[in-house]
Amino acid sequence: MDMTSLRHKYLRHDKKFPHVWCPGCGNGIVLGALLRAFERLNIDKDRLVLTAGIGCAGRLPVYVDLNTLHTTHGRALTFATGIKLANPELTVMAVMGDGDATAIGGNHFIHAARRNLDLTAIIINNQIYGMTGGQYSPTTPYGARAATAVYGHIEHAFSIAELAVTAGAAFVARGTVYHAAMLEGLIEKAVRKRGFSVVEIMANCHVQFGRRNKMAEPVAMLEWFRDHAVSAANANGIPPDSLDDRFTIGVLADVEKPDYIAEYQAVREKAKQ
Amino acid sequence: MDYSIKIGGEAGQGIQTIGDALGRVFVRAGYHVFSHQDYESRIRGGHNFYQLRFSSQPLAASRNKVDILVALDRESITRHEKDLTVNGRIIYDASALKFKNGGPAFLDIPFEKLALEQDGDKIMVNTVATGAVLGMLGLEPDLILELIADTFKNKGDHVVHANKNAVRAGYEYARLHCDTCTFAVAVDEVQQRMLVGGVESIALGALASGCRFYSAYPMTPSTGIMNYLASTESEYGVIVEQAEDEIAAINMALGASYAGVRAMTGTSGGGFALMVEGLSLAGMTETPIVIAMGQRPGPATGLPTRTEQGDLEFLLSAGHGEFPRVIFAPGTPRQAFHLTNKAFDIAEKYQIPVFILFDTYLADSQWTVDSFDLNQVRYIDYRLRGDAFKNQQHYRRYAYTETGISPLAVPGDASHVVVVDSDEHDEEGHIIEDAATRIRMVEKRLLKKLPLIRTEIAPPDFYGDQEAHVVLTGWGSTYGIIKEAVDELAKSMSIAMLHFSEVFPLPDLGLFDYVSFLRKTKLPLCIEHNATGQFSRLLRAATGFEFKIQINKYDGRPFTVEELIGEVHDRLGNI
Repeated sequence: MDMTSLRHKYLRHDKKFPHVWCPGCGNGIVLGALLRAFERLNIDKDRLVLTAGIGCAGRLPVYVDLNTLHTTHGRALTFATGIKLANPELTVMAVMGDGDATAIGGNHFIHAARRNLDLTAIIINNQIYGMTGGQYSPTTPYGARAATAVYGHIEHAFSIAELAVTAGAAFVARGTVYHAAMLEGLIEKAVRKRGFSVVEIMANCHVQFGRRNKMAEPVAMLEWFRDHAVSAANANGIPPDSLDDRFTIGVLADVEKPDYIAEYQAVREKAKQ
Repeated sequence: MDYSIKIGGEAGQGIQTIGDALGRVFVRAGYHVFSHQDYESRIRGGHNFYQLRFSSQPLAASRNKVDILVALDRESITRHEKDLTVNGRIIYDASALKFKNGGPAFLDIPFEKLALEQDGDKIMVNTVATGAVLGMLGLEPDLILELIADTFKNKGDHVVHANKNAVRAGYEYARLHCDTCTFAVAVDEVQQRMLVGGVESIALGALASGCRFYSAYPMTPSTGIMNYLASTESEYGVIVEQAEDEIAAINMALGASYAGVRAMTGTSGGGFALMVEGLSLAGMTETPIVIAMGQRPGPATGLPTRTEQGDLEFLLSAGHGEFPRVIFAPGTPRQAFHLTNKAFDIAEKYQIPVFILFDTYLADSQWTVDSFDLNQVRYIDYRLRGDAFKNQQHYRRYAYTETGISPLAVPGDASHVVVVDSDEHDEEGHIIEDAATRIRMVEKRLLKKLPLIRTEIAPPDFYGDQEAHVVLTGWGSTYGIIKEAVDELAKSMSIAMLHFSEVFPLPDLGLFDYVSFLRKTKLPLCIEHNATGQFSRLLRAATGFEFKIQINKYDGRPFTVEELIGEVHDRLGNI
């Protein structure tokens, strides 16, 4: 299906546009990838629920013509958990930003991964708090400048994808908005995976992050992604500590294990005996 | 006949095992039972007690006086000996306590030795003590033997046999050596009654109301609700999720509610502090939710295992922004059951958060209840589901209506989408900024619903003399204490109880003008387990009536009936 038809099928195109994102924002590329992934997955639109937190990433579901919940900051996964447990037939996804998912919602994130309920978390990582004016987030790199780190950031960033792997997610992938064609495949795989899945998407916030860090144009940031992303398949030979500011993209973890609902049904059967 | 038994000892000694076993025997013997516990925030050591009162008459509170004190430690004796009645007895194991008292009230029963003789181990001291109490009372041991067979049947014949012998050993020893005991208890006319506590009643109320989802984080005194529901998961199909924190707990419940099921969460003050954000989200998104809020003394961690009514004002104003809410504060297990049911009904009907505000005292005290009246249980499915939803031409989650209540549809049932936003939104649920929509939404969500919600609130309970000079006013868990105090005081004065279990919004005066009644009373008193009289302040704010005299207790312990009577006597000079 061509992009125009996809837009008509999945967007609230006649109501909510123009969107709130800045010109050149990476979030639009993520939204496009998401629509193409929906089409590939061929899930009945009515059986799909999209939750979101607060922030620029959290605005994404506002544009999608699905059952959506624009919840409070950091809580998208908790809401999603409740929905999935109440009705496991629904496909439930949560769209979050880096601050949303790993700062205020960090506890929910690691526990959702540990719990391994069949949810898909799409985390748009732009390494900054965009909507509030460029404060540093848990993924702002060491030394980078932000509204609250005007002389350079003295804290170290953590890796969302690696955090997800360690916390027990069944499926973890990372992509970037430069590698746009790859994203829809990663999202599709993540949704198809039974268990907690995470897709971390490195996206450009040239306005709040780039402008303070010598990448004021979207293209400069996209080029940075191009130059620093290493395919996970090719990264095997590189020791993690020599990746420096490079990072891996692709499927980073795909673990076979029973998901929460399967475990829950098994324990109920056991309790009945 | 009205006897009280107190079992005292360290945490971990099995005080609760003895108390629960005796309570069940007395219920099976046809008596009314009331029990409450006093324990410290620790797993081993310290001093705890379990007080159990039984009678052929209905009971609503504990009394100070004790007829039999089971002392598993020395502190039980030093602390509680003064509470003994004239013919009361203290039973203790002199060799275990390394202490001997030859006084007429003391009866040395070698619990440990008797337990070990029955081919058992020291853990069976509890069983021996239970048998000894029954022996002193002269209540035939058949009921306890039955109970032991039930309780231990999964542990094998040997354990059942050893425990039965331990009960008999304690029983016989007491019969033989308590020759001056004057207790006389026989199996009464046996009626089917339940012995239930506050948290179980709330949990049962939730099950009876069709609750399908409960998420919480453990916190005394609300944990019992989660434990109880989790133990019945396979029977009733309720999903229980222990969340990573209270923020997650309330949001999970809201998610489940959005997905179309009746959902609930529970916590105490400190945990509710984390839930406040989610409460406001429930208000904005008009998502039905029931929240059980168990008070304990604060601020902060406070006294974790003790009781207080200190969080009423916290609940009244919790959550940023303006949205409707309802607060119920049950005073008995029966009220806890029915008000939980009413909470679900109102939450679903008006799409608002509804609170069950209880406290440690109600949570942990047990009452005999004939049965809960299931005919009074209200269940109406207010949601738009299935074909009814499918057949809608257009669906708008926040459609403007006469009542302010918009159709609440279940996502996934139809090709219509159910759109929810924590930002201000239009009828479809889409984020907006314009002033006109904002005004209409505030009217819809709040102003139109408020007068309708008020019509649902029942008047307070009135008990006693219609022309009373003295009126004891209370709310929540003090119901039983006030009622028994009124029964006692009525022998010498004109007195009544006014008890509120539906505390916010306060009941309208149409059915019962309690404000005029209070105004014409010579001595209206407001009794609260807090330091500043939060309920009396609420009443004044809502009605203009001010209690000139309040009786407050904030030591973390509930009033005993005798204490409250003393407090009332102290204030009679104000008439």
